[in-house]
Amino acid sequence: MSNRLLILSVFIVASCGLAYELVAGALASYLLGDSVLQFSSIIGCYLFAMGVGSHFSKYIKDEDLLARFIDIELLVGLVGGVSATLLFLVFAWVAAPFRSVLYALVFVVGVLVGMEIPLVMRILNARQAAFSELVSRVLTFDYLGALFVSLLFPMVLAPMLGLARTAFLFGIANAGVAMVAVRAFRHELKHAGSQALRASMVLCLLIAGFLLADRVTQWSERGLFGDEIVHAETTPYQRLVVTKWHDDLRLYINGNLQFSSRDEHRYHEALVHPALSALPAPRQVLVLGGGDGLAVREILKYPSVEAVTVVDLDPAMTRLFARAPLLTGLNGGALRDKRVKIVNEDAGQWLETATQHYDAIIIDLPDPNSYGLGKLYSEPMYRLVRKRLAETGLLVVQSTSPYFAPRAYWCVAATLEAAGFKTYPYHAYVPSFGEWGFILADTQGRYQPPTHYAVSLRWLDAAVTRELFRFPADMSRVEVEPNRLNSQNLVHYFEEDWHKVIR
Amino acid sequence: MQRRTFLTLSAASGLSACLPRLPWQQPPVSVLRPGMEMGHRLRDGVPAPDPARTRQVEVAILGSGVAGLFAGWRLAQQGFQDFCVLAGPEAHGNAAAGSLGGIGCPRGAHYLPLPSRESAHVREMLAEFGILQGNPQADRPVYDETALVHAPEERLLIGGVWQAGLVPQHGLDATEQAQCQRFIATLHDLSTARGQDGRKAFAMPLALSSRDPAFRQLDTERFADWLTREGFTGNAVRWYANYCCRDDYGAGIDEVSAWAGIHYFASRAGQAANAEDGSVLTWPEGLHALTRRMCERIGARRIQQGTAVSVRPRGKGVEVVCLEASGQSSFLLRAKRVILAMPLHVAARIHDLSAYGFVRERDQPPHAAWMVSNFLLDGFPVERSVQQPLAWDNVVYGGAGLGWVVATHQWLRLARPAQTVFTAYHAFSGQAPSAVRSQMLNATPEALLDVAGQDLRAAYGDDFERRVVQAEISLRGHAMAIPTPGFLSRPGIDALRHADGAILFAHADLSGLSVFEEASNQGDLAARKILGA
Repeated sequence: MSNRLLILSVFIVASCGLAYELVAGALASYLLGDSVLQFSSIIGCYLFAMGVGSHFSKYIKDEDLLARFIDIELLVGLVGGVSATLLFLVFAWVAAPFRSVLYALVFVVGVLVGMEIPLVMRILNARQAAFSELVSRVLTFDYLGALFVSLLFPMVLAPMLGLARTAFLFGIANAGVAMVAVRAFRHELKHAGSQALRASMVLCLLIAGFLLADRVTQWSERGLFGDEIVHAETTPYQRLVVTKWHDDLRLYINGNLQFSSRDEHRYHEALVHPALSALPAPRQVLVLGGGDGLAVREILKYPSVEAVTVVDLDPAMTRLFARAPLLTGLNGGALRDKRVKIVNEDAGQWLETATQHYDAIIIDLPDPNSYGLGKLYSEPMYRLVRKRLAETGLLVVQSTSPYFAPRAYWCVAATLEAAGFKTYPYHAYVPSFGEWGFILADTQGRYQPPTHYAVSLRWLDAAVTRELFRFPADMSRVEVEPNRLNSQNLVHYFEEDWHKVIR
Repeated sequence: MQRRTFLTLSAASGLSACLPRLPWQQPPVSVLRPGMEMGHRLRDGVPAPDPARTRQVEVAILGSGVAGLFAGWRLAQQGFQDFCVLAGPEAHGNAAAGSLGGIGCPRGAHYLPLPSRESAHVREMLAEFGILQGNPQADRPVYDETALVHAPEERLLIGGVWQAGLVPQHGLDATEQAQCQRFIATLHDLSTARGQDGRKAFAMPLALSSRDPAFRQLDTERFADWLTREGFTGNAVRWYANYCCRDDYGAGIDEVSAWAGIHYFASRAGQAANAEDGSVLTWPEGLHALTRRMCERIGARRIQQGTAVSVRPRGKGVEVVCLEASGQSSFLLRAKRVILAMPLHVAARIHDLSAYGFVRERDQPPHAAWMVSNFLLDGFPVERSVQQPLAWDNVVYGGAGLGWVVATHQWLRLARPAQTVFTAYHAFSGQAPSAVRSQMLNATPEALLDVAGQDLRAAYGDDFERRVVQAEISLRGHAMAIPTPGFLSRPGIDALRHADGAILFAHADLSGLSVFEEASNQGDLAARKILGA
C-alpha cells in the first residue's frame, strides 16, 4: 500500500515539475516575447538544475530520506506555487531584475525537483523492492506524469485558470503529496507532528494564493494600465507597454500614455497637416521621435513627399511599430513604406552630423520631464534644427499642454523665438490627453494656416483650423524665460505645472 | 566539493554573466606621467646630443601650456608672422585632454569661471572663438549655451544624502548652517571691496588687485588662522573652505595664504546674460577645448615638436638647444627673442635665473602634486535617489578626493550614452609635496587606482567598480604652485615678470596662482612686450 502511494506520488511530482517549467516558459514568452528563446533557455536552465539536484541527493542520509522527501515536497510546492504570481509582480513593479528573478526561481525549483526522483527510488529501494521493477515503475510514472501535464496545461489549465492559478494548483498538489506522506508514514517519521503542521500551513497558504491569485495579477497588470497588456518590453532606453481594451489600443512609455487609438488621429492630424498643407509641395520631411509611425502615416498622404526620415532612438520601438500586425494596422504600415528611412540614433547626435535640408521638420519627442529630454528643447538644439530646415520650410514641435502646463508650453515658444524662429502656437483637443499644444515655426514670418486640405482627414477642416490658432483667455500666453541649459528651467516649469494638476 | 562552496561558486558565475568583467579582475589601467621623464633628464643633467640642424625664427615660445599658447594666440591675432611654439614634453600642459572609448575627457583642468571684467584678455579670446557673443566687455555678456555648464551643476554627498550645491547644508545644526551662510556673505562683501587706490581688493588676474596694505597684509597669515579669527570655527564651514582651496590650489587652509584663500571666493565676479551668477564654462574635454582653438589660430606649421634643454643669449639673439621628441637627436633654435613658458623649476634647469635675481630657496613656489583619473564606465552607476540626479560636479563631504566631473554631461543628447567617463580629481594635500612625488614614482597602478576611486566608491559602492571598463591616471607631480603665505612678495619672481630683454618669462608660476586666467595673462603680457617692441 505504502509503495503504491509512493509510485502515485511520483506521477504527481513529475506532473508538478513539468508544470512549473511550462508556467515559467509561457510567462516569459508572454512578458518578454521571443518564445523560442524563452522556452529553450528555461528548459535548459531547469534540466541543468535538476541534474544539480540529483547530484546533491546523495548527501541525504538513508535514515532521513522520508523526512527530507516531505520537506522537499513542501518547498517545491511553496516556491513553485508562488512563482508565477511573484514574477508578475516583479515584472509590473520593478523592470530591471525580472530575468534574474525568473532564472533564479527556475533554478531553485529545478534543483528541488531534481532531488525528488532519486529520493523516491532510494526510499523504495530501502523497502526491498526489486531494483529492475523499481526503476521501470518509477520512470514509467514519471514520464506518464509529464505527458499528462504537457497536454493538460495548454488545453485546459492555461486558458481556464491562467498561469498564476495553475502554478498555485500544482503547488497545492505538491503540498498535498507531502501531507498524505506525513499521514501514511507517521510511524516512521521522527517529527511527524511538526511536519504535519508545516504541511498544513503551506497548504493553507497555497489555497489562499490560488483564490487570490487572479486579483493579484489583475492588480499588477491592470492596476498599472487599466487594460490588458498585449505587449510589454523593457529596452535599454524605456519601457514600452501596449494595452488593448475592445478596439482601443494604447501605448505607454515609462507608464505615460503616448496615444490611444480612439483619438490619436486628432493628435497626429494636428501635428502634421497645419504645416504640410501650408507648403506648396513638401518633398523631404524629417521626423524626430515619432517611432510609432502615426505621424508618418499622415505625412505619406501627400503625393509630393519623396522621402521621410524618422530619427528615433529606440530600435525596439520602430521594430515593434513596423512589424506587430495590430500596430501596423494602426499606422498603415507607414514605417515599411519605401519612402521612409528609419534612423535609430539619438536625435541630438544625429543633428550634429546631418547635412541634408528638409521642407518640413516635425519634432514629436516625449514631454520634457527629464534633463536629457530638456536638452532637446533648448536654443542650441533649435539652432541645429534651423540649419536643417529649407529656407521656406516649416517646423512643428509638440509642446505639452498649454492648459495644464502653460509655463512649459510658452517656454518652448520663447526658446524657439530665441533661436531665431517666428512662432505660430496652436492647440487641439485630444480627448485622452485633454487640451494639447503644438508650436509651428518658420524663419521668414510668412506662415498662413491652410484654408483647405487636399488630403483626406477625419477631423481637421478649415473651420477647425481657424480655432486651433485662437487662444482663449484661459490659455493666453504667459511670459517666461526661454529654456536655458544652464538652469534647465523648462524641466522645472513642466514638473511644477503638471504637479499642480496630477493627483 | 561542499554543497555550500558549489552554490556560492555557481551563484558567482551566474552573476558574472551579467557583468562586463569578473569581480576579482582589475580593469586595465594606464598611468601617464606627463613631462616626468624629460624633466628628470634635465634635473639629472643628461647631456643632449649635438644639434643636427638649425631653425631660425624671430620669436620662439618655449612651452605649449596655457601661457605659451596664449602668447602665441596673441601674436597670431595681431598679425605677427615669424614665430614658433615649441611644444615641450607636455603639450597643452594642465589643459591636456585624452579620450577613453571615444569619449573626450580632461587630463587636467576642466572649467573656466565666467571671466570678470578685469579678465579682459580672456573675454577677448572667448569672443574670437564665438563662445562669448556680442560685446566682449559687457557687464553681462551672452555666452554659447553649449559651453555654459548645464543643470544640474553640482551636488554634495553629506550624511548619506545628496544635496544640491557644494556649501554643506543637509543635517547641519543651526550654528553650523549660520556660519556657512555668514562665510558666503562675508566673502561676497569682500568681492566688491576696494582698496585706497580704488582698485578691487581681489581681482582676477591678481596683478590688478589693490595694493592697499589693509588687504595685502592678509598674505602674511594662513587662511586657517584668518578663518579662526573671523569666528569660522565649525567643521562644515572649514571643510568647505578647505575643499575649495584644495580644489584650486592643491593645498588646504593650513597651507595657503589667507589672501589667496579669500581671492578664490572674492575674485570671480563674472556674470552672464544667459546663466546664473557664479556659473562656469566647461567642455567635455575640459580646457583643452580652448587650447585646441588657440593652436588652430596659431597654425600647425608654427607648432614645433621638441623640448628646450638650454637657453643662452648669443649676440643680439638667443640660442635654444632643443631635444627632438624621440630624445635621440637635437636641433638648434635661433631667435631674436624667446618666451620661457614653463614652470620656474624647469626654467631654472635650462637657463641661469640667478642673473635676474631669482633665488631658488627664497623665490621658488612649492608645487602641489595632483592625480587626474579618468574612468570609462559601462552605463551610469545607480543613484541613491531621483531627487538629486547626477550633476556635472559631484563631491563627497569629508571625502579623500575632490569629487568627479562627468565628461558626457555637456553632450546634447536625448538619452544617456551607453558609456560615459567620470573624471576624478585628487590633490595630495596635507603631505610634503616631495614625499608625495617619490610615492607617486613608485606606486603600482593598483595602488593609484585605489586612491583615485575613493570618492566614487563612497558614493556608489560596488556598482562603480563593476562598471569600470578602463582607467587612465595622469600623475602631475608639479601640477601647480601653492600660494603659501608671502607668495605675493617674492622679489625674484617680480624680477622675472619685469624681464624685458631677449628672454621673457610666461607661466602661472609668475602670478603664484595656477589658474587659466593667470597663466593666460602672463602669456598675454609677454606677447605684448614683443608686439610693443
